[in-house]
Amino acid sequence: MAWTNSKIFRPFLADVLDNTTAVDLGSDVPKVALYDNSITPDNDVTSANSAYTAGVWSATGGGTGTPQVFQAGQWAQGGVALASTSLNSGTADTVFYDAADTASGSAATLSNVFGCLVYDDTLTTPVADQGISYNYFGGTNAVTNGTLTVVWNANGIFRITL
Amino acid sequence: MIPELSAERHWTCPNCTIAAVTRRPEAPIPFHACKGLNGLNAPLVPDGTRCKVQTIEREDYIGREVVRTDGEGRPVMSVVTTRDDGTDCVIYAPTATAGAMEV
Repeated sequence: MAWTNSKIFRPFLADVLDNTTAVDLGSDVPKVALYDNSITPDNDVTSANSAYTAGVWSATGGGTGTPQVFQAGQWAQGGVALASTSLNSGTADTVFYDAADTASGSAATLSNVFGCLVYDDTLTTPVADQGISYNYFGGTNAVTNGTLTVVWNANGIFRITL
Repeated sequence: MIPELSAERHWTCPNCTIAAVTRRPEAPIPFHACKGLNGLNAPLVPDGTRCKVQTIEREDYIGREVVRTDGEGRPVMSVVTTRDDGTDCVIYAPTATAGAMEV
């Protein structure tokens, strides 16, 4: 079981396109939850299993994972909210979703941070907290009595190329 | 006499000569293109901090991942600042991608 890549959830796109779910990335507030390497993310799961607390995206864990990595007051269980989000379609053949850097408190002690789940925390129906994407960091990361910052790629949190 | 509280903070880089000043209490950590880290957009540290700032190369196969690279094209996973009393970590998250296929 392990992370291997970063993916957009297939049901996320399908549900948005056929109006199954009323995701509004212009106003909804997604959250970023951190996970260790004991899970194997899959973008082809059902809508329900892409959601936070469902499938592999368990809410249980702690400062060292199993599987969620969190610390009260620093990087909360359930994740940190994205800020300054934007959906960009101004570049030919490209649509991408971006946000400002996402940071913990300044006294975080976290380890085994391998990747994150980005989910719509505003969404309540038909699937609450449905997953949008997951992003693999490429290895293990840790912080001790400091700040953990996730800097999103210039190409966005997720990017669709036509 | 009421003391004037200032939120001014001075930042420097242990790997190059860049410095910066922020004045908002909630100002995020400023970043800069660091010559000492092969041009990587790296965080500054509070001026006077005894620390080491180093890049951590991606530990896994890149494949089709869209990753952050430094000025020499090496894939960078994170930048870790090691202080006397702890560490900070800046993770460069890859992009989750999807593409259309021409048939």
